[in-house]
This record gives sequence, C-alpha cells and structure tokens, in this order.
Amino acid sequence: MTKISDGSVTSAFPMPAIHRRDMLALGAGGLLAATGLGSARAQTKAAPPPPSKPTGQVVVGLSQEPTAFNPLMPGIEVDETVWMQIFNTMWVADPKGNLMPDLAREIPSEANGGISEGGLAWKVKLRPGVTWHDGTPFTAEDVKYTLELINAPGFKARTRVGHAFVKDIKVTGPLEISWRMEKAYAPYLALLSNTFIVPKHILEKAADPNTAPFNQTPVGTGPFKWGTRTPGDNIQLVANDKFHGKGPYLERAVLKYVPDQTALYAQFRTGQVDLIIGTGIPANFYAEAVKLPGRKVVKIPSASLEMLMPNLEHPVLKDKAVRKALYASLNKQAIIDIIYYGLHIPTESFTPQDSWAYNPNLPKHVYDPALANKILDEAGWKRSGSGTRMKDGVPLTFAVSTTTGAALREQAQQLMMQDWAQIGAKMTINNMPAAVIWGEFYTRSKFESLIVGTAFRTVIDPDPAARFASDAIPAKNGSGANQMQWQNAEVDKLLKDGQTTFDQEKRKAIYWKLQEIAREELPILPIYQYAPVEGYKEGLIGYEPNVNARQNTWNMGSWYWAR
Amino acid sequence: MSGFLLQRLMQAILLLLIVSMIGFAILHLAPGGPLSQFAAGGEMNQEDLDRIIEQLGLNRPLPVQYAEWLWRMLSGDWGLSYRDQQPVLHIIAGHLGPTLELMLSSTLLAMLIGAWIGIIGAVKRYSLFDSIATIGTMIALSIPTFWFGLVVIYVFSVGLGWLPSGNRFTIGDGSFLNRLHHLVGPCIVLALVSTAVWSRYMRSSMLDVINQDFVRTARAKGVPERQILMKHVLRNALLPMITITGLHVPSLLSGALVTETVFTWPGMGRLFLDSISYRDYPVVMGILMFTAVMVLLGSLLADLLYGVADPRIARSGR
Amino acid sequence: MSLDPTLDALPARAEGFWNSRGMRRFRRHKLAVFGAVTIILMTLACVFGPMLLPYSDTFIDIRQRFAPPFSGPHILGTDPLGRDILARLLMAGRISLAVGFCAMVLAMGIGIAVGVAAGYYQGVIGAALMRFVDAMLCFPTIFLLLAISALIQPSVPSIVMLIAMTSWMEVARVVEAQIRSLRTREFAQAAVAMGSSNIRIMVRELLPNAIAPIVVAATLNVAHAILAESYISFLGYGIQPPTPSWGNMLENAQSYLTSAPWLAIIPGAAITLAVTSFNFVGDGLRDALDPRMDLP
Repeated sequence: MTKISDGSVTSAFPMPAIHRRDMLALGAGGLLAATGLGSARAQTKAAPPPPSKPTGQVVVGLSQEPTAFNPLMPGIEVDETVWMQIFNTMWVADPKGNLMPDLAREIPSEANGGISEGGLAWKVKLRPGVTWHDGTPFTAEDVKYTLELINAPGFKARTRVGHAFVKDIKVTGPLEISWRMEKAYAPYLALLSNTFIVPKHILEKAADPNTAPFNQTPVGTGPFKWGTRTPGDNIQLVANDKFHGKGPYLERAVLKYVPDQTALYAQFRTGQVDLIIGTGIPANFYAEAVKLPGRKVVKIPSASLEMLMPNLEHPVLKDKAVRKALYASLNKQAIIDIIYYGLHIPTESFTPQDSWAYNPNLPKHVYDPALANKILDEAGWKRSGSGTRMKDGVPLTFAVSTTTGAALREQAQQLMMQDWAQIGAKMTINNMPAAVIWGEFYTRSKFESLIVGTAFRTVIDPDPAARFASDAIPAKNGSGANQMQWQNAEVDKLLKDGQTTFDQEKRKAIYWKLQEIAREELPILPIYQYAPVEGYKEGLIGYEPNVNARQNTWNMGSWYWAR
Repeated sequence: MSGFLLQRLMQAILLLLIVSMIGFAILHLAPGGPLSQFAAGGEMNQEDLDRIIEQLGLNRPLPVQYAEWLWRMLSGDWGLSYRDQQPVLHIIAGHLGPTLELMLSSTLLAMLIGAWIGIIGAVKRYSLFDSIATIGTMIALSIPTFWFGLVVIYVFSVGLGWLPSGNRFTIGDGSFLNRLHHLVGPCIVLALVSTAVWSRYMRSSMLDVINQDFVRTARAKGVPERQILMKHVLRNALLPMITITGLHVPSLLSGALVTETVFTWPGMGRLFLDSISYRDYPVVMGILMFTAVMVLLGSLLADLLYGVADPRIARSGR
Repeated sequence: MSLDPTLDALPARAEGFWNSRGMRRFRRHKLAVFGAVTIILMTLACVFGPMLLPYSDTFIDIRQRFAPPFSGPHILGTDPLGRDILARLLMAGRISLAVGFCAMVLAMGIGIAVGVAAGYYQGVIGAALMRFVDAMLCFPTIFLLLAISALIQPSVPSIVMLIAMTSWMEVARVVEAQIRSLRTREFAQAAVAMGSSNIRIMVRELLPNAIAPIVVAATLNVAHAILAESYISFLGYGIQPPTPSWGNMLENAQSYLTSAPWLAIIPGAAITLAVTSFNFVGDGLRDALDPRMDLP
C-alpha cells in the first residue's frame, strides 16, 4: 500500500475491488468476439494470424505486487493475474456472462442432468487429455482433492463460501466427479468459475499445504508455466507448449510491479511496459493517454461501484430522511465529470448495469439541494445558529472515511463537504491508511460512513446476500460483509429466495424487487459504476476486457504480437 | 581491545533486544492488521477472516506472541512473510542487492564530490567557491529528498528524456550499461545529502589538520604547499572521515527508502513500505532488526576506525 | 539517524586562531541573519497573509481549476479543485510552521527531561535511559516514522506527537552529555553539599548552564520537524484534507507533475526555504553561542 501518489485509488491496497471488467468496443480495430477459452476466436479481417510457435514477450504493468501463488489461499485481486495463467477452473465466464467449459466438458445444469434433486446433487464430466505442467495427467482426483483441501481444517483457505455446503465427493470415473450439497445454492456455479484446480500429486506430498514449496513455484494446467520471480519487481512466466487450449502464442509473459499508478503510467508512456491492467491508468491522465502514439487506451466498465456506505447504526445516518437528503444534494455529475473526467457511469443500483439481473427502471437521481432542504425540514432537522441542522439535540454531523492517498477520492470528498454544508449537514473527513481502515474499523462497523469501491455480488452471480442479509453483520456476530448493518425482513426473504432458485427469469424478478427496495431505503448511496482505463501497445492482438473475469489477463494465452 | 569489543558486543545485544521489544509493541498495538487487504476486497466472509487470524496465531496475548517470535529468532528462524509465505531472511536477501547497489554507488559519488568540495573549500577559505559551497550544502541538507527526486524525474526524464523515470533495468535487457543508465537518477538523489555532509566535515577536518603543529612545521621548513597538502594534510584529514560513513548508515537507509519509492527501485525501502502497509509483521520486524544490526555495525566500525585514526580517543566513552 | 544530517554528524571542530574569526563570524552572521529575517517574514505572511487575500484556502471553484501562476486573478494559480494556491500555501505554512514548532517543543521537553535525568542520576537509571535512547536511534528515522505512524490516526496533533516521538533522542544525548560534565563542576558539587534537592539542582543549577546547546538543538529541530512533516505526507500518513500543509500540498501534486508542475514546485520551494532558514540560524547560533560545542 503503499501509497504514494496516485490517481483515483490507493496504490497500497487494491481498491476494494475494481474487478470484473466489461467488454467494450476496442476502438477502430473493432470488437473481438469471445468464443470462450481455448476455442478459436473470431478475428477481424485486419488481424494477422497467430505465430506457429510461441514468440516474443509481453510486459504487463501492475500497480500492486502479486505475492500469493497458491490459488486457494488468501490473495488479492492482483494475485489472480498469475493464477489465471498457471491454473484453470472447471469453467470460465466470457465477457457476456456465459459460462464456457474449460477443465470440464460441459457446464452442469438441470437440463443436462449435471445438477439434480433441486440443486442438491452435482455431477461434472471432465475434459480428457489435460496434463499438468510436469506431464502428469489431470484427473477427477485433482478436483476432489481441491474441494476437500478448501474445507480441510488447518488449511488457510481464502474462502469457504459455498464450498462449505459440499459433501460426499465421489470420483465416479477417471474424469467424472459427483458431490452433494447440504443445501441448494445457486451461486455455487459462479463460485466454481473462480475456483482454480490444484494438483493432488504434488500437494498431497507436502507435510503442510500451507507452506508447501508448491506455493512458491506453482504447477498447474494453464497456458503459462512458472518461470522466475524477482520479489518486489517482476514475475516471468513461460509458454506451456502442452496447453490443452489454443495458444499460448507468447514465449514469455512478464508481470512487472510498479508500485505507483503515476509511475506506472509514465512507464507505459515511455514503452517500458506493454500494457496496464488492474488499477489502470488514473482518470486524470485519460485525456492525455488517448493521444499517445502507438498506444490503445480503452475505457472498460467494471462491476465495481463507488458508493458512500453509511453505518446504519450511526445516530444521524440511521435516519432515512438524512440519507435521502444527502443523496439528493450529492452532486454526482460534478464528481464524475470534473474529478473523474467523465469516465465513470452514474448508477442507481448495486447491481452492475451489464448484469442480467440489473433493473434499469429505478428512479433517476437528480441533484436538487432545495428538495434536500425540504426533506430535512419535514423530518424535523432544524437549522441552528452555526448553520448545522439539529434534531432532538443531535447535530447533523458525520465523518466520511476513505483510504489515505486516494487523491481523486479526496477531491470528491472535499466537493461533497462543500455541497452538504449548504443543506446544513456538516461532514468531516477522517481518512486512514488502508491497513487501518479495512481492519476492524470496517469489518466491525466502527466507521460513520465510508467511500468504497466494491462489487455487490458473488463472483459473477448477482447474489448480494453477503452484503445485505441481516445475518451477515460481523458487528453482530454474523458471517458476511454487511458492514452498513442493514436489517430488513423483506430483503432477507428475497435474498433467500434468490439463492435457492435456479431459473434465471424467476431470479431476475427477485433481484429487481431487491434493487427497488435498496433504491428507496438507501442502505448505500450509489455514486457511479467504475469505468477504469486500461491501455496496451498497438500491435498486441487478443487483449479483450472481460467484466466477468477478475483481471483482464484472463485470456493471455491467446495474445500475440502482429508482426 | 578485545575487552572493548566484548563490551560493545554485549551492549549491542542488549540494544537489539530493546529494539525488538519497541518494534514488536508498536506494530502489534497498531490498529488494523494483515487481513485488512483481504477484507477490502469484500470477497472473504468474516468467518474466513476470523479463521485465518486464528491460524496465524494473532488472537493470542501479545507477550506470548513476542516470546514465540523471540525464541524462533534466536534459533535462526525469522519467520514467514504473511504476504508471500517465504522465509523473511530470504525476502530481505532478495531486496538487499538493489539497496546496497544504490547505497554504495551514492556513497562513492558523495565521497568523491563531497571531499573535493570540502578540500577546495578549506584550502581556499572564504573564497567565492567556499561561500557558494557553504550555502549550497546547507540547501542540500534542507531539500526534501523526494521532492528533489521528483524534480530530477521532471527535468531529466520527462523534460529532456535523458534518464529513465524508474526501475533498475529494462526488462529483457539488463546489460551493465542499461543498469548504469537506470542508476544515475536515484544515485544522484540519494547522494545529494551525503555529499553535503561529506563536504562539511571534509572542510572542517581539513582545517583541523592544517592548523596542527606538524603542518606548520613543514610549512616553516619550506616544504612546497602542494606537497604539504597531498602528503600531510589530506591523509590525516581523510582518516576521521571514514568514521562518518559508519555513522551515516541510518540516514542513508532513510534516504534509500525515499529514493527507492520515487524511482520504483525494488529494494529494502520499498519492501519496508509495502510490508508496513500490508502489516506483514514478520517482514517488518525482520527489516527493523536487520537495519538495527547494520546501524550498530556502522557505529562500531566508526568507533574502531576513530580509535585507530586517533588513539587519544578514550575507549571508555560512548 | 535523523532526517537532518547536521544532527547526525560528527562534532564540528573549533577552527584555528589565525583564521580571521571576524570574517567567519560576519559571513555566518549574514546567513544567520538572512535565515532569521526569512523566518520572520514567512511567519508574518502566514499569520496575516490569509486575511489580506480575497480567496479562502478551502473555497472550491471548480471552473477555475489548474490555472497556472501569474496568469490571472490567482497569483500563484489554482489547484485541481480550483482553490487559490497562494491562500493554501499561507494556510499550509501556518500548519507546517506550527507543526514544526510544537513538535520541537515536545521533542525538547522529552529530550531535556530524559537527558537531564540520565545525566544527573547516571548509574542504573541513567544507563537504562540512555540505552533506550540508543535503541531508538537504531531505527533509521523514516523507518521509525513509518512504524509509529501505523499507531496513530493522521491529524495535526497526532502528527506533532509522531514527529516529536522520533526526534527527541538527539536532544537527550546532547543534554545528557552536558549535564554529565556539568555535574562534576564545582558549583554543582557545592549545591549538593548545601543540601539542595535534586530537582532544584537539575532545574536551577545545571539546566541554565546547558542552555546554549539546547537552543541550537531546538532551532535545528524545527527544521527537522518541517522536513519530517513533508516526508510523512509523501509516504501517505500525513495531515488529512481539507487542512492544507506544505507536505500534503506536495503529495497531492505528484500526479500532476507533468501537467501542472507548479503544484509541486511551489510547496517544495516553501519547505526548502523554511528548512534552510532554520538551518542557517541554527548554524549561526552554534558558532555564536559555543563554537566548541559538541553536537553528536
């Protein structure tokens, strides 16, 4: 975290999640249609064919350092850049949100019998002819081992969400596996699209999988093999010529860590890195970056939202009228247009606009300080001598916290402060370093309000139960991430229904209703949906933003340079 | 001599123990923790976070954690990084090279230029050169290093395009010339302060010697001025200067941290900053102990050399 | 071990008799006077300047953002939110100078207390205190600043504390050495013989006699503290907005280094000027008060 200067996000930590990019036109070159991992891609006429053998290298610039290489253990988003190259999942989501088989032969569904008994029994057929980087064949035993390891006591698994329901894992053939679920859980399909399969034959030999040498020199089935690592600087990956899919076409991929977004951008400009992904190019450089010769700079919507997250137990912010007034006098357009150079997309929903579950019919936000004043007057918040409103002896003051060093967010904060002062709401700024703010201050709901950028869904599934369910409040001994402490019985019921329904149209109705309630109750004040900026050198073919992948290196195996 | 060394050694061990206690207490009492980075993503549940806290043993009383850390440390196990699960010593070793490269090259540069400025300043006292040097060194001591670094980048990288704006070498190149090219900027920035220190002390050390009896005697005997300077003054003035290098270790480390940050140099300073941000306790503690050892070695070296250079210095003193 | 190597360095030696002391004093004097005048002018400007300006340091006028210096009504231009840079520079000066001064007072307080106690009692207490001082000095300043900054929430008082906590050790050393040598002098022995209380001897007899190095250390300490504030801001643990300080103005300017370099140049120059001035004064005082003084 180091925070050093940066544009919109703190460099030290991931901003909470800018992930899952969306597909967007890549400019004049036209859109590259995705047909899934490993299958032939439709290229535009102009694109030359890929080389016959892996050639050349690409230098990917990252503003955080990948350090965790066991894909089942705790890691941050940037670590997935590595996992995606080394490992594979059973299926992956393409930019449109369709799941495409990878290590599996087909996606289990109620239609093909892969999922039965109302979601309690699962069966997966695996792809033949896949080998680990060391030549050992990949089998169903590896999948079984992976799922069991996640639940093994003592193993530092990143998350057991969903996996904890899995039991009775049976290998029914060399490439066939089945298991049962303790309860029907629709988002599990999505969770598995982010569960990388690890090799049993290597990890079972380790005395303690937590400290296995494998965690430093991972072996997988992916398009690239582990090469070398210079800590604090770069990681080099080399082509896996036995890869089961198409590619890889690059001989070597270098993941270069530049711990500062401004410096990273400078190196992109001078050509020291070939592309910037992840935290991307700071918004304040966008206008300049699009004019760079020999560089393609693209705006890519992501599933992350920037929001003001109030603590609903705070004496002032628990009042719905206050939240409505603050929202009405939040000058969203000024923040987006001026501070973020018009990059991001205003939104009313917690669901990303690209999702099938997104409800486009929510009331539109209008910047209306007069309305805000009216709401507060009616709710009994009276102006006092100092200009700050009071109600029952409580002054309308609250603090807004965010990560220190997020320069553009700090600017947005100061703009909000000035706007809200005009309706008699006194906002103070209480920013903290990332390691402090995202500690107990956040997880145990000790904040008054936060500005965060995060995604309210479960991997690529629209289920926000971990964020909204009243049994997901850590400050009240719940398990989840409902840090604003929202409690709403109707919402709880909808969330439960959403998890146990497998039919997409029925689920859609449930989530539309949920979004309506959230827009009315304002448990979060949505500001915008991210549209980060990534850039790459002209001549790089195959780069394709994917809102459903956690990093845009998701298809790096099929990248190559035009000659 | 050996008694002196033994005493210094005992003292150093005591100091290291206090250093470790201070460091451990500060780190572990600080709010936040190593799991913040995961909580920020929103992907891990509270259950997951609590489980990992317990697996790391971070929910135990502080003295227990300290005792365990100390015990392992004494048996040579510096622990594993929370961030990348590697042994701490291994990580430090991996980042030491770039930092040493930077520190040594800038010290060398500072010695050469600083000594030159100091010598000329002492020989031509109160000349225009001396006055400008005096003011210049004072300004050099007052400029925020990182700001100077930014200015260097702005002028020489962004403006003139002479120097790369960061990194240790170009990926895929890494030849000696390429590395040298990358070293120029950070080296100049880090050397600025040391140059000022060197020139100030070189000047006063020179003046000190010039005024001593043997120099005046030589001068009275009609030995040529140039020969006096080279044979007598310089040699005697340089000796105590060596000690400065030893005492200068901590400020050099501080400067290296800042310089590495500005020039995205993958050294110990960057590692420390990242580790603090991620609350990677074992690595932070490791670096603190490692730098403390370096600092103590530096001052021991300074003491020893000072004693050699000027045996009149009483060993009993600190 | 401090940011300011003048504190880190070896003893400055006395210079010989045949050097023209008058010349040297004069030149030193000129620089010291220059420093003192600059400090006074800066302080006056920061205290009264904001009242004379038509702009407030916090007023956001987004349409006026990024105005370069000397190009319009804003003399030094505007920042990314369209705030007047001159107004911010002066308000920031108030904060930075105040932080520097308060941190110095606090650091001197701690340093003198520890130094006097250690120098007076010596023995076990003195040794324990001085070992603690030595241990603190084993941390390179910035490493210590960073480690302690993890403990605090960034605000003006806590930044003052932070800086003081990392800069009192040198003072303690200087004072301890002085007191230790003064303790053996006749007047101190006489006071002991007359049965004066320990506290009285320390405060009334010894401390006034050690005032020269203390004054010098205090001056250099202000320079150190102003510099430290900018480092903390640069490393991301500094004073939070909307309060401006020279350090956080500089920190916020980094991403605009190519498009609006004046944002970085102006506060950087202000820091350098202030720190240089304090260092000149400190240097001059050192010469004037006690040319033989031993600063560690």
